[in-house]
Amino acid sequence: MMRRAAALFIAFLAFAAPACADQLVTDLSEHQVAIRSNFTGTQILLFGAVEAARPGSRALNRDIIVVVQGPSRPMTVRRKKQMTAIWVNHDSVTYPSVPGYYAIASTRPLEVTATPETLKALRIGIENIDPGTPTAHAIDGTQQILPPDEERAFWKALIRNKRRDGLYINVPGGVTFLGQTLFRATVDIPAKVPVGLYTAKVYLLQDGEIIDTISSPLYIEKGGVERFLYRMAHTDPLLYGMIAVLVAAFAGWLASAVMARR
Amino acid sequence: MQIYLPIAELPVSILTILAMGAAVGFLSGMFGIGGGFLMTPLLIFLGIPPAVAVGTQTTQVVASSVTGALAHFTRRSIDFKMGGVLLAGGVVGSLSGIYLFKLLAAIGQIDLAISVIYVLFLSVIGAMMMIESVQAIRAARGGRVTPRRKHHSWIHGLPFKVRFRRSKLYISVIPPVLVGYFVGTLSAIMGVGGGFIMIPAMIYLLRMPTNVVIGTSFFQIVFVAALTGVMHSVENQAVDIVLGFLLVVGGVIGAQYGVRAAEKMPAEQLRALLAAILLLIGMRLGYDLVSTPPDLYSVIEAEPLS
Repeated sequence: MMRRAAALFIAFLAFAAPACADQLVTDLSEHQVAIRSNFTGTQILLFGAVEAARPGSRALNRDIIVVVQGPSRPMTVRRKKQMTAIWVNHDSVTYPSVPGYYAIASTRPLEVTATPETLKALRIGIENIDPGTPTAHAIDGTQQILPPDEERAFWKALIRNKRRDGLYINVPGGVTFLGQTLFRATVDIPAKVPVGLYTAKVYLLQDGEIIDTISSPLYIEKGGVERFLYRMAHTDPLLYGMIAVLVAAFAGWLASAVMARR
Repeated sequence: MQIYLPIAELPVSILTILAMGAAVGFLSGMFGIGGGFLMTPLLIFLGIPPAVAVGTQTTQVVASSVTGALAHFTRRSIDFKMGGVLLAGGVVGSLSGIYLFKLLAAIGQIDLAISVIYVLFLSVIGAMMMIESVQAIRAARGGRVTPRRKHHSWIHGLPFKVRFRRSKLYISVIPPVLVGYFVGTLSAIMGVGGGFIMIPAMIYLLRMPTNVVIGTSFFQIVFVAALTGVMHSVENQAVDIVLGFLLVVGGVIGAQYGVRAAEKMPAEQLRALLAAILLLIGMRLGYDLVSTPPDLYSVIEAEPLS
């Protein structure tokens, strides 16, 4: 069903009226992902077309970059240090706004798509994420100033950690052109994904210059029973806790009642 | 079959959780313990955040202690007065444990604190039980009866003496309140009922007769664990009702078989086996504390900076 809708949409795009400059038209296979009890991760299909300014002109050196970014939250990176044989969380660095999810796909590897300066200025690429001004703390909670290369090690550790969890993804060649104008990309959403508002941004590049950008929202939320329980745990924690305990106590009573009957 | 846990925010295999619940339930039925000290480390190994593991584990403790307490209630082997005194200490202990938990989580040392406390208690109590049961087994083989020590300790010098008729004791309320407080604190931090500390303390420190010890311990654990579960929900939103339910179901089934298995095994060997399990888990956790972690860095979501 979803696939057919996508195909229809693409067919519509292919015959759409040309505009004055090369332009992007894109959409996602889903704008809303509901995390239900059977959620084990999903895939989002992003598809679109480049509307050429002059129909029939062959565009060379044309690239597409797709960036899907999750909600940003403050995150703390802690480093362990061995203190008298035991490994203890020692120094920590807190970044005020770290995206919980960051997936990037492109037609060609990023290095050949645009200059590092362009990518850095537009914050494209996992290395170019801006987490805000970090604050470092020592083990006793006092603020401290770390040398830049040490601070860098914390940031690299965060990226390594997120990559390991499949939350930061880099897929060079993940965007494929189907013919001259149509393109598609699939983005993996792992099970441990944070909930919130996501943005899928598509950049159109010509000879390393950005000529068009388009962004569409994507909501990832808990759905069904999961949503209900999560909400209740946060809005009415006392009732939630009491229900959890009563259910358990009832199960315990039931067990002894069954045992007694035998 | 996978199921997504709403509070832990990750999918787990239903069968794995049920099997873990059943295995721990089996041991808990076999040894007459809550089994929390086994379950919390297992959940953490599985990737459940430690805070959620501890908070959720309390529901399993409630279920198994209700079953235990009801069984002892019908056998009339609960000292309600002693249970109440222990409970008074336990309530205050649980509350302070919750706040200690929050404080440790805020400074990033909660995982370390949980591990260190586990290693300490598991190895000390495991070693004590092992020595005891080995001695008892040897004595039984040699046909000698170990003389029962009975002497007045410093405990009998304390004020506020109360008569506990079922336990046949006339002692001050201070030691039981302190024991309750201490175990309540640990139970909030470790996600355990604390029977494995409470029972030795009742036998060796308070010198209660063994026939009322387990029932009384279960009785007060029901209420301390219930309070701890509610408080973990309120303070940390760390109780995963779906995970808890699966653990309880597995545990209830496992416990039935555990009780039957225990009837076929001699008590002293049973105790040696439990001691060996305690020591093994303690050593495993201790090894993790001193071995170089695969990644020195860890990432957690921070509280919004004020």
